[in-house]
Amino acid sequence: MDAAVVADDVTKRYGDLVAVDGVSLSVPAGTVFGLIGPNGAGKTSLVRCLTGTTEYEGEVSLLGSAPESVDRSRIGLLPQSFSPPERLTVRELLGYYADLYDEARDVPSVIEEVGLDDSAETWYEELSGGQQRRACVGITLVNDPDVLFLDEPTTGIDPKGRRDLWTLIEELAAAGTTVVLTSHSMDEVERLADRVAMLADGEVVAEGSPATLIAEHGGESRLEIRTEAVADPLANRGFRVEASAGRLTLHDVDAAEIDDAVDALAAAGIDYESFTWTEPTLEDVYLELTGESFRGDDVAGPAEPAEAEVER
Amino acid sequence: MSRLGRIGSECRAGAKAFLRRRTAVFFTFFFPVIIVLIFGVLVGTQPTGGGLFAEPPGYYLPGYLAVVVLFTPLSRVGSEFARHREGSRFEKLATTPLRRWEWLLAHTLVNVFVIGAASLLIFGLVVALVDAQIAVGAHLLLLIPFVALGVALFCGLGAVLGRLADSQDGVIAASNSVALPLLFLSETFVTPELLPAWFRPVTNLSPLTYFARGVRSLTYEQVSTPVVGATDPTTLALTNLAVLAVLAAVFFVAGTYAVPRTD
Repeated sequence: MDAAVVADDVTKRYGDLVAVDGVSLSVPAGTVFGLIGPNGAGKTSLVRCLTGTTEYEGEVSLLGSAPESVDRSRIGLLPQSFSPPERLTVRELLGYYADLYDEARDVPSVIEEVGLDDSAETWYEELSGGQQRRACVGITLVNDPDVLFLDEPTTGIDPKGRRDLWTLIEELAAAGTTVVLTSHSMDEVERLADRVAMLADGEVVAEGSPATLIAEHGGESRLEIRTEAVADPLANRGFRVEASAGRLTLHDVDAAEIDDAVDALAAAGIDYESFTWTEPTLEDVYLELTGESFRGDDVAGPAEPAEAEVER
Repeated sequence: MSRLGRIGSECRAGAKAFLRRRTAVFFTFFFPVIIVLIFGVLVGTQPTGGGLFAEPPGYYLPGYLAVVVLFTPLSRVGSEFARHREGSRFEKLATTPLRRWEWLLAHTLVNVFVIGAASLLIFGLVVALVDAQIAVGAHLLLLIPFVALGVALFCGLGAVLGRLADSQDGVIAASNSVALPLLFLSETFVTPELLPAWFRPVTNLSPLTYFARGVRSLTYEQVSTPVVGATDPTTLALTNLAVLAVLAAVFFVAGTYAVPRTD
């Protein structure tokens, strides 16, 4: 598969600060590529390098050309803190950007695609935060780009809006659009991205598919049982068990084995209050690789639960 | 969409965005009105000598027009520039086919339209309220290119100030710091005779001087009335218009380069 975006040893400096430090990556055409990292990791600076909207060192190829000379009708960009003219209606806004291109999509169809039919005649400044972000995404779609850069597209959007946008991104990818997506919402990237690059202090600390990264660096799944019982009955059934006060932790238990564990508890007559199953996530991968947590940085809303808790 | 289409689209968006900010529209027109009312009506002129305004009322028409031709583009383009930067709009536009000069031209055209309307208002007020004697004739049509070129010039300068200042507040402060000295040292309200002899050549460095001289030669009866042996007023106006056109081109190009292509 041809690469739509290639970065080779790309570095971006702001004075003494190195925002992007020798990043190399390749984004196959028609895939969703996630750039994740906490605030200040260098995601936005890297997107600017890839789109040619900043000066940088190194080489970037965007659809086979340098970003500065690429056919602009083939790319779309949603900057991180983008704020379009606020006293234009949604229809006027999309029409304004559509008219900047030789060929553009039908504006009403884009409005429908981002779910703003009912707000088409509303000024941008009067939309809710989530609607504003959806309008911004709509702006990036008017030229039907081959490569779409979305810098934290779901920031400020309510859960339903997020899921709607996720569906839209999935549909775009299915139709062949290459999407480069930045986020510090792990669940978003985990759901949408075919491949992920984790950034920390401007460097890529890991790259691969979410499943591969989790398998290689995420650690093991766990089943925690709140009980006063001892570990032996479960250990005898082949589980690797760790006992602590009021709790048994079963390590490396995948989802299919939960029933076996519950059966073992019942067979041994063990009483328990609840059990919680936790599987590793990209956040665990990041923590493992960098020693730093994302917690406190995620402004896109609470992460999707990577765990299931059952009370008895 | 053709180049004209892109410029038209940017122009329409800029015009709508401006016209829907009611306070901006109000003060764009109220500011020159209040200047005319204070200086032209309240203070008045004293043609017999002395006072703040010693020349006949018609002398000051270029000054009143200069108020809008100078201040409005500087503040409007500067503010628009800051808004674009703060909202990452330039970053977005850099990935569209719209070129930097097309952006500046579109916003210049919006300003020409707005300031043209304000200039008409000022012209009417000065004639109606201040009793200025204006040399009426077809030559007054030359006021249109004077206003258009003046606006283009100061739109370019506004873009440069917008690039240099890092916020809307900074743009306003920078605009005022540049505009106030220019307004009073460009043969608009202050006659050259009131300045020290050594300073008078400095006024030639102000682009607004050529606007004021040209407009005055077209409108002020004492200049516009042909005198044997003197330079024809229209020729005088065209000379100043030519200088203004060159300066407008230079400032417009500078303004184009000030529009960011990257962060």
